[in-house]
Amino acid sequence: MLSRANNPKTIQAPRGQPSGANQMAGSGTQPRGQPLIELCGLSKTYEAGGVQIAALRPTDLIVQRGAFLTVMGPSGSGKSTLLNLFGLLIRPTSGDYRLEGRTVSDLNDDATSAVRCSLIGMVFQSFNLLSHLTILENICVPMQYAGVPRARMRKRAKELLAQFGLEGRDGSRPMQLSGGQCQRVAIARALANDPSVILADEPTGNLDEKTGQEVLTIFQELHRSGKTIIMVTHNPVYRQYATQSVTIHDGKVAEG
Amino acid sequence: MSPLEMAVTVYASLTRHLIRSLLATLGIVLGIAAVVAMLAIGEGGRREALRQIESQGVDNIILRSVKPVEGNSQQTTRSFTQRYGITQRDFDHIRNIFENVRLLVPVMDTRRDIFVGQQTTDIEAVATVPEFLEVTRCRLVDRRSRFLKPTDGQVLEPVCVVGVKAARRLFGHQDPFGQSVVIGNVSFRVVGLMESPGGGRLAGQYELNNVVCLPIETARALWGGIRVQMRRGMAEQVDYDFLFLSVKATGAIPGTAGRLRTYLRSVHAQADYEVQVPYELLQSARKTQRIFTIVMTSIAAISLLVGGIGIMNIMLANIFERTREIGVRRALGARKRDILWQFLAESVLLTSIGGGLGVGLGIATAAVAETVSRMGGDAGLKAVVTSESLLVALAVSVITGITFGTHPAWKAAQLDPLTALRHE
Repeated sequence: MLSRANNPKTIQAPRGQPSGANQMAGSGTQPRGQPLIELCGLSKTYEAGGVQIAALRPTDLIVQRGAFLTVMGPSGSGKSTLLNLFGLLIRPTSGDYRLEGRTVSDLNDDATSAVRCSLIGMVFQSFNLLSHLTILENICVPMQYAGVPRARMRKRAKELLAQFGLEGRDGSRPMQLSGGQCQRVAIARALANDPSVILADEPTGNLDEKTGQEVLTIFQELHRSGKTIIMVTHNPVYRQYATQSVTIHDGKVAEG
Repeated sequence: MSPLEMAVTVYASLTRHLIRSLLATLGIVLGIAAVVAMLAIGEGGRREALRQIESQGVDNIILRSVKPVEGNSQQTTRSFTQRYGITQRDFDHIRNIFENVRLLVPVMDTRRDIFVGQQTTDIEAVATVPEFLEVTRCRLVDRRSRFLKPTDGQVLEPVCVVGVKAARRLFGHQDPFGQSVVIGNVSFRVVGLMESPGGGRLAGQYELNNVVCLPIETARALWGGIRVQMRRGMAEQVDYDFLFLSVKATGAIPGTAGRLRTYLRSVHAQADYEVQVPYELLQSARKTQRIFTIVMTSIAAISLLVGGIGIMNIMLANIFERTREIGVRRALGARKRDILWQFLAESVLLTSIGGGLGVGLGIATAAVAETVSRMGGDAGLKAVVTSESLLVALAVSVITGITFGTHPAWKAAQLDPLTALRHE
């Protein structure tokens, strides 16, 4: 069972000032080519009005460390269900989900939270920044739950802001930023605890084409630096950047 | 999350809607203010009552002559002299039979006016014995002072001891020693100055600092034991206006008072006396205080219940409004208990701020009530804010926050992360 106390990621020191793509990822970067995520017969069924609805049919999937996986499919096909399963926001109905070689699909709530905190970074379509906090404080939120000391936390947050071109904007509120800037803050927040995998749910969906491309470039750089990225998208163009791609139709996952 | 981070998070959340947060605390502010103010006034009243009682001497039993209601006395129909109150026979009986009585101090009101210039004053001239000083808890002021001596009544030159307030009125800034006080056309030389430290009253009546004491033998020699007051051709006779019985042990007071009442009922045909037992009054005051405390606690409980429900309401609304925030926090790694503690801490901080403001408002209210009550020039109310009452008020506000914040916080913690994230 994972716990905050014995997970070294929760108390990692912040990295030095990154100057290039290789420094973007931090220590969450591991040698490529090893399985990071393994799904074995993972499925999710919902019940609505007494009818069982298979949101995700039994799925076997391996995501290699350092992969850039795109998840595509029409609306209601089960893309978000798969991403929520990856993010431990919902529990599977059956099957096994292994992350970094450990089964995480049957953990209790505390342990699940600890995994979300230290191994998974989430980026949402609507950014989901906390409007009453400054962008620096927003980036600090995951580190607060990881128990990072305040001084180190703020230093790390400032480094991330600088890394994403938001230096000197520490005290700004999300509403004072553009959509692209907000998404950059959200990505910085996802990287705060140096997670093993970044889950992005249509991260360019609320952005114009140009800004969306800028955000995608950030993900490309993160991927090049060794980060594992799983991105749900409607845009088939993004597939060209992926090392691995899956398509979902009616809850059935197909590679390619 | 560390306590520091928790504090920062809670502060940020509360200051987000500062006015709403302050309004949410209003019920607690008013509840705590009412409690603090009433406790302060109640405590002041209690201390004043106890001071008054204790100034009469807790180990004393005071027997007072009371003029019976006119028409009840058979003697008035047959005689021009109305005789009532404590008699010499009562005095002798008590002195001889009541073995628990350590001191028996008679006091007579001379009923003679004391003048300052041409004007009469409310200074009372009382005739008594040397033990008066002890039973009334008075003390002598000035090194030259002495109280009455057993031999004072035998000398030709009458002497008196003056209370400090009476001395100021009679002599102003002049040295009272060696000066004379004229009582009923007789000059009494001042030999002592006395003071009642607690500003006590003689049997709850005359202000001890405003009396002049003279030897009882002198008063008898001058005016006899009969007080004659011509009114429609009638006179009154009172042997003693007061008798102070100082009992050997506090435990013996109730029994002695009981025996005294039994004796007086058996020998007095009419209710021309009153038995005051400060010890019983003290017990009664304590009982009253207990009732007061229960009533206050009930009022406080109701106030805080109302305030607490207000807090719970605001917290529930807060949680509904911030459901998406809860989802985001859960998605970023917050445990259920992190969410629980965050919202519970917000609730406790709200009620604590309310408690703090309430304490301030309560102290101010008590001070205003005290000032207003003294505007007429009377002694008025006295408000005493004790540190215990402040601690209790603050503790109660924290407990209210915990009690009424737990349910909303628990509800927030139980939210499903995904459902909360999708909340619009």
